[in-house]
Amino acid sequence: MNNPISKMAARLLAGALIVVACSGCGTVGPQPWEKDLMAQKKMQVDAYALEFAAIDHIYFSKEASSGGRGFAGGGCGCN
Amino acid sequence: MQLKKRGKVREKLAALSAGLIAATMAAQVEKAEAQSYDTQYYQSLFSGKNDDFGPGVAYSQIDAALLVYSEKGGRITAIEPTLDLAVHGSKGELLNFELIADAVSGATPNGAVKADILQTFVTPVKTPGTSATVTSASGGATIIHLPGQAAIRQYTVAAGLLPVDKGFKDHRGGFNFGYSQPVGWLTQLGFGAGYSLETDYSALTANVHAAQNFNSNNTTVSLSLNAEHDTSTPYGGVPTALTVMDGTWKAGKSKTKNQFGLVVGLTQAVTRNWLMQLNYAYDNQNGYQNDPYRILSVVDNTTGEPLKYIYESRPEKRTTQSVFWDNKIDIGPTLTDLSLRYFKDSWGITSKTAEFSERVDLSSRFYVEPSVRLYQQTAANFFHYYLTNAAALPTYASSDIRLGKFTSVTYGAKVGYALSGRTEVYLRGGYYSQTGSGHPADAVGQLKGQDLFSGSKSLFAFAGYTWNFH
Amino acid sequence: MTAMAPVENVVAPAIQRSGRDTLFLFHAMATSCELRIETDDTALSERVAVAVEAETRRIEQKFSRYRPDSIISKINAAAGSAISVDTETAMLLDFAAQCYALSDGLFDITSGVLRHIWRFDGSDRIPDKAEVAAILPLIGWRKAIWQRPFLTLQAGMEIDFGGLAKEYAVDRALAVAAQITKLPALVNFGGDLCVSGPRSDGTRWKVAIESVERAGAMEGMLELSQGALATSGDARRFLLKDGVRYGHILSPKNGWPIENALRSVTVAAATCVEAGMTATMAILQGKHAERFLKREAVQAWCVR
Repeated sequence: MNNPISKMAARLLAGALIVVACSGCGTVGPQPWEKDLMAQKKMQVDAYALEFAAIDHIYFSKEASSGGRGFAGGGCGCN
Repeated sequence: MQLKKRGKVREKLAALSAGLIAATMAAQVEKAEAQSYDTQYYQSLFSGKNDDFGPGVAYSQIDAALLVYSEKGGRITAIEPTLDLAVHGSKGELLNFELIADAVSGATPNGAVKADILQTFVTPVKTPGTSATVTSASGGATIIHLPGQAAIRQYTVAAGLLPVDKGFKDHRGGFNFGYSQPVGWLTQLGFGAGYSLETDYSALTANVHAAQNFNSNNTTVSLSLNAEHDTSTPYGGVPTALTVMDGTWKAGKSKTKNQFGLVVGLTQAVTRNWLMQLNYAYDNQNGYQNDPYRILSVVDNTTGEPLKYIYESRPEKRTTQSVFWDNKIDIGPTLTDLSLRYFKDSWGITSKTAEFSERVDLSSRFYVEPSVRLYQQTAANFFHYYLTNAAALPTYASSDIRLGKFTSVTYGAKVGYALSGRTEVYLRGGYYSQTGSGHPADAVGQLKGQDLFSGSKSLFAFAGYTWNFH
Repeated sequence: MTAMAPVENVVAPAIQRSGRDTLFLFHAMATSCELRIETDDTALSERVAVAVEAETRRIEQKFSRYRPDSIISKINAAAGSAISVDTETAMLLDFAAQCYALSDGLFDITSGVLRHIWRFDGSDRIPDKAEVAAILPLIGWRKAIWQRPFLTLQAGMEIDFGGLAKEYAVDRALAVAAQITKLPALVNFGGDLCVSGPRSDGTRWKVAIESVERAGAMEGMLELSQGALATSGDARRFLLKDGVRYGHILSPKNGWPIENALRSVTVAAATCVEAGMTATMAILQGKHAERFLKREAVQAWCVR
């Protein structure tokens, strides 16, 4: 099934019967044409990286826990 | 068709098509704002000059931000400006360069407990061999120079007040850079390094990271490795743990700490409007963990009166683990972000964090985002508000409330405004409040009447500006 | 809805009932057009139908190359002088220019002049090489001068939005409908279709796909809850000579039909314009169409 033609043929076969634009049909997650929301900045996990880094730096300097979103290191001596 | 990155033609076509429909519709909408915005967005999408979100097109992004942080009661105040430049190449390359600075000043708890008498603390002067021959005032303290002896710095704290050292002042400058690009079958492979320098602390970091997309780009698996080498060069030299703070300069100049961390991440687009991120992080630290300025009170076992102040002592090794789960759910007009974190370390601390925010787009360019964060941690097994003279000194002891048991809550709100399709300004404000029990059941003598909790309450504001350009 | 519908239910335009939906059929853009709204409110459907049909006819007339008063005709008749175009046309020209760049010149709105020599009527009349060579100098978007809002074509050159207008009309029709009602709706212009979202109970729209081999025969049912489908290629439009089949998609580079072209490809995407353009670009890839679709991770159904 490595060549694109046979893959496409398989898709066609599946498509001829029933093709669904939903989850639960092989792949998890939205289909390519359903990614309008995912493409938006507000849905990006790293869209406001600077903001998260700054706020996390506050928590790093006031609490024992750090990391989660990223590394636990602080790069400073405030903790 | 030239060899463009996988999926890039589709992505670009999708953006162009959606832009075409939105913009031509907007051109007829009578609402002037919507029209000007969407038309602007549309024009920036098509005009060669600003065509920078498109695939296979190089563009750059500048982020400038300023964090202002202020604790209640004249304690720590910090100002932290950040500047970040990201250069996106046409083949998925990403070069990132970041400059950070901060200025911190104010009063910080020195670790001693409150007392019903005036307390006097002596610390080393910041510069050894000061030429002052008379006493002089500096930062709420007095510099005392006795002939034939090293100068010491002395400050007093009134009865019933939390002992804080008001002389805290530091500046930090740092930079980070990173580079990543698709390599072979890997979606992204990159490395980075950073350096941060304070008067009494420096940190050198390096990292490598790899990410791979699967499942029609709905799933991303990533692995990041991070190494850090910190050097602590305290004023007055490195104090020996659990010895009395006497204001003398110590022989040891600096101590180091090495840190190694990894983060395994899974990002999954679950449905059209639900994005999920799951991270596992492991971190191993080895070396000097003490706060070199922090002391503990050793009190009389019956009266609770302070007898002496000794430097704190923390284990050299610390391993931490955390699981972080973040969900972004776009439910029509609002976007919900809910994250949970569980953290556990080898010092006996466990913590739970929950953060919730709701972004509400009030117009095509303006949004508000209220948020709340709840945090709860248990104490390290060597956390003590104070020590008594009844028992021998433990190997490890610290009264740093950051290692104690407390809960905190943050209320915040963010407003964002898109100046165009390419620039955004935003402002986030927050109120952070720590609460804990400062009345341990086994408190002795005068300490029974004191609230020993030294947690803080603070206000912070973060202003950011993002600009994309060609 | 049956032919025996009571008179009082007959409204103008002719809204029919179809299961849970109201259905409005009209003929425009050389195909049958369908508007389906999940409601039993025929009065509302009528308002939407009027707006959708008006919008469709507006686009058809504005961009028709057969109507002498259309902007396309004005541009094509300018014979070397600059024509100032309106915002909407400018946006479509920008879009076409971007697609030209994205496809490295394979999608070209100036290639329509080839229709003067290629007539895909199922016959065996194929042009000779000299005819094709003679017309090639009139093709090439890069020869056009496009400085918003002014477009200047060389004399003899022509543009048309044939590969774009119908899909654009589908997206616009749905957008116009959405301005009136947020009820689930489907717009289907001869197989190029777009839905507003899932049905009100969360289920998907079922769409019958016609076979490219036999007119009217059903190829199968597609179901979709989001976005659009568009089909490019038409198995019935070809020339057959000496056993060689000449498909109707022509290469702007040499003026001849794309070799080893897909006979048909149906693409799913967020908008009908995107689906249609992706399908057209796929066919223009010739024998590499499947590879292109796979690389771009496009959901597509191909017929060779």
